[in-house]
Amino acid sequence: MREIALLVNGEPVSVEVDPREHLADVLRDRLGLTGTHKACEQGACGACTVHLDGTPVLSCLLFAVQADNRSVTTVEGVGTTEDLAPIQRALSERHGLQCGFCTPGMIMQALDVVGRANGGLTPERVRHEMSGNLCRCTGYVSIVDAVLDAAAESSSVAAVPDNEPTQAEVSG
Amino acid sequence: MIGERVTRKEDVRFLTGAGRYLADLRPAGLKHAAILRSPVAHARVNGIDTTAAKALPGVVAVFTAADLKEHSRPLSHRLAVPGIRPLEWYCLADEKVRYVGEPLAVVVAESRYVAEDALELIELDLDELDVVTDVRASLGDDGEESAPLLFEEWGDNVFYAGGFANGDFDAAVARADGVLRETIAHHRIVGLPLEGHGACGHFDRTRGELLLYSSNQQPHNLRTVVADVTALPLEKVRVIAPDMGGGFGNKQHFHREELLIAVVATLVPDPVTWSADRSESLTGSVQSRQQEHDVEVAYRSDGRVLGVRTHVIADLGSPTLYFSSIGPALITTSMLPGTYDIEAFEYRLTGVATNKPPMGAYRGFGQPQANFTIERVMDLVADATGVDPADVRRRNMVPDAPRPYFSATGNRYDTPSFHEQMEVLLDELDYPAVRRDQEEARREGRLVGVGLANLVECSTANLFGFCSQFGGYEMASVVVQPNGHVSINCGTKSQGQGHQTIYAQIAADVLTIPMSAIDVSDGDTALLPHGMGTWGSRSATAGGGVVLKGTRQIRDKMTAIAAHMLRVDGEEVELSEGTFSAGAGRVTFAEVAHAAYLQTFLLPPGMDPGLATIASLDPGLADPFPDATGRMNAGSTFSTAAAAAVVEIDAGTGQVVIRSFRIVHDCGTVINPLLLDGQIQGGFAQALGAVLLEEVVHDAQGQPLTSTLLDYLIPSFSDVPRVHTHHREHPSELLGGFRGAGEATTICGPSAIANAVHDALGPLGVRVLQTNLSSRSIREMIRSAGVKPDPFARALAS
Ligand code: FES
Ligand code: FES
Repeated sequence: MREIALLVNGEPVSVEVDPREHLADVLRDRLGLTGTHKACEQGACGACTVHLDGTPVLSCLLFAVQADNRSVTTVEGVGTTEDLAPIQRALSERHGLQCGFCTPGMIMQALDVVGRANGGLTPERVRHEMSGNLCRCTGYVSIVDAVLDAAAESSSVAAVPDNEPTQAEVSG
Repeated sequence: MIGERVTRKEDVRFLTGAGRYLADLRPAGLKHAAILRSPVAHARVNGIDTTAAKALPGVVAVFTAADLKEHSRPLSHRLAVPGIRPLEWYCLADEKVRYVGEPLAVVVAESRYVAEDALELIELDLDELDVVTDVRASLGDDGEESAPLLFEEWGDNVFYAGGFANGDFDAAVARADGVLRETIAHHRIVGLPLEGHGACGHFDRTRGELLLYSSNQQPHNLRTVVADVTALPLEKVRVIAPDMGGGFGNKQHFHREELLIAVVATLVPDPVTWSADRSESLTGSVQSRQQEHDVEVAYRSDGRVLGVRTHVIADLGSPTLYFSSIGPALITTSMLPGTYDIEAFEYRLTGVATNKPPMGAYRGFGQPQANFTIERVMDLVADATGVDPADVRRRNMVPDAPRPYFSATGNRYDTPSFHEQMEVLLDELDYPAVRRDQEEARREGRLVGVGLANLVECSTANLFGFCSQFGGYEMASVVVQPNGHVSINCGTKSQGQGHQTIYAQIAADVLTIPMSAIDVSDGDTALLPHGMGTWGSRSATAGGGVVLKGTRQIRDKMTAIAAHMLRVDGEEVELSEGTFSAGAGRVTFAEVAHAAYLQTFLLPPGMDPGLATIASLDPGLADPFPDATGRMNAGSTFSTAAAAAVVEIDAGTGQVVIRSFRIVHDCGTVINPLLLDGQIQGGFAQALGAVLLEEVVHDAQGQPLTSTLLDYLIPSFSDVPRVHTHHREHPSELLGGFRGAGEATTICGPSAIANAVHDALGPLGVRVLQTNLSSRSIREMIRSAGVKPDPFARALAS
């Protein structure tokens, strides 16, 4: 066992971990932050996405010791029941979640995509940059809409119209 | 509120990471289980040595079948239909293993890490046996010597054999201008909810009570099975299904693993949890859809189909599953006639055991296969006769009157006009223009195709005849609290569909109070005597219906109280916006609730205090069993749709690109269009995956080759276009007018896509006779049509 120091959602914590423990397991099992989900533990689904020093990472592929002395943000650090972040509100308004199992990972990835957008987000770019996150329920378009809404809100650029067909752009 | 696009009550907890899924539950003292699974597809189990595993520090217990036999009863499929083999099995395999991934032993340890370490220390002594993975080989139809037997006592590998005939197929052949004979292959896929299944059990010894959390779509029916397997009294077993990360039918079964955790929990002092990891869920859990259909079709030269005869051969894998792995195939045969009026209709159904994981439910429950075959048949007839596929459908569609219409297999269609629905679709699609564009594309050497599919979807079955020990009814408790807030608990179980929201909408309409004052819960057997869970598009119809019924009962009692408080007759009282009024007199919903509990002197003489009811509702109409002729109405009501896909195919890579997908859909009264669109779009993604991307592959030795999400590909962000949806609302006869909405695109999407692919590849002489339309399959089909090396040139020349 080894003690590591983390800044988790802005709070300093120190925690004893087994060197082979994944960051996802430490967040969930030792810190009780079960909002970070595991759906593959093989780096293939994005459900476990958290931010490490502000950058999205797959917490199922990192050992917790690799996060020593670094800052970790999980979905629990994004918005609260009373004060949802724009992406969280947009996901609800667009029905961008059904079972919600992929949702925390989607939110963490989308925050990064929106943060880097600079007003230049298109549906294709959202689809491209979110493509490491899998959802089995929604069929994705409502999530794309939500990310664009959140981006529009943060850059106050007009949102993309509701029913803009995306077939050709997506698949072409 | 019914009909409004309201956002979901459940969203906030999921958005903030506050959902509580199975693996998030942390009772004090929790121990973790890991399951040792068979590394081979067929073997006799001589022995399992767990000594070293037990000695590993951190290991609490290790169990094999031999250890558990005296503490548990066997499982069985409980199905008493003629033609089925009796079969019993245990949570852990005992004498034989029959597929890679079959559970053999379980370790309970302080952490999952340690439990998995211990698995590696277990010594297996297995005598490997010959393996059979193909249904024809398993039946001995491949000309080989006799196939290895999964269950020696049967003498063959046939788990189920049945048949049905309506009308005279041979006479239809005699009258026909032509007869098609084809085999259509439906490949094996998995439902793959993002959260795999799992269970967490704790046995309270002093009270003799077992609490089992399980990610299961039918908590009450699971409780019945758990009580049987553990030999505990039913009332001492409580099952709670927490938040679920999807289900799609995969979590509708009573899996060996959740029963195993129940049994193990009775044997160790602490709570025990287990969640399937992705590889376990991809290789050792239920899989779906695999069937072969040998079809014969007698048709006239004008495109009219006079008769269809099918032999459905269902690849059941090892049918050690309750409810039974034959269930979906029974629905396949029942729904094969689809929206078409086919007088001479015969089928044989053979359910065959192979050395693969059990066949089970996946969204559509056998209906995607039925729809695919009959819709393929329509297009093959169009090809053979030169009649346009839309005209073939017009000539064969079930006529508009009378209603209800009884299909050849006995299904009672309470639907609106199929003709009109398809014409709406063709209009919106501008079918002639699409055909002109296709001609244009073909001249440019591009492979563009359009495919149609019509859907009639069986909803709200009761499943006695398919699964035994079920009902078609639903229960819900409705409680108005003393403060006027409402608590509803329903026997259905949401896996993401948004039941909290739609039931609150229904209740809000009846009670005229805000949705925020209505709390909806589900999934706890302690809160309701029984419930049937969520499957088969039944939650809006049976669940929504019972919520409507229960809230009306409560409203009527409150109206009587209000009338007494206002000193008027009940008929004079109106309820709106949370206020009962009669003339100038007013009393609020909350005041009536308060009176019902805390000022009972205000109640009419003789009325019992309190505002609570447990309502139950059987939508009826669905037959529990087939009649003497084999006919059976499988659904209480039927939803309908007409869909069209336009695709373009790259002949070099075999990649299919969906240019557009359009559906005209009718699920009766729409409760929430926002959520309904989500069901349509999400179902479409699964349809697209089912034909273009997903495939469970086993090698000849039964070894799974698709054990991670890197080799089993589900649709991702860049694969799924937006569906164009048009909802029409023809209310059903059921309470609320609902028809059920969860499965339309999953059922008819693959058919429409495949028909479009067939149409696109027509110039190359390719005929689509399989559901697997992955790039690799398309390239193979093009190659075996003799097109090479430049398929483009051939297309141009045609
Ligand atoms: S759980 Fe980490 S990528 Fe799937
Ligand atoms: S909402 Fe269920 S997996 Fe995305």
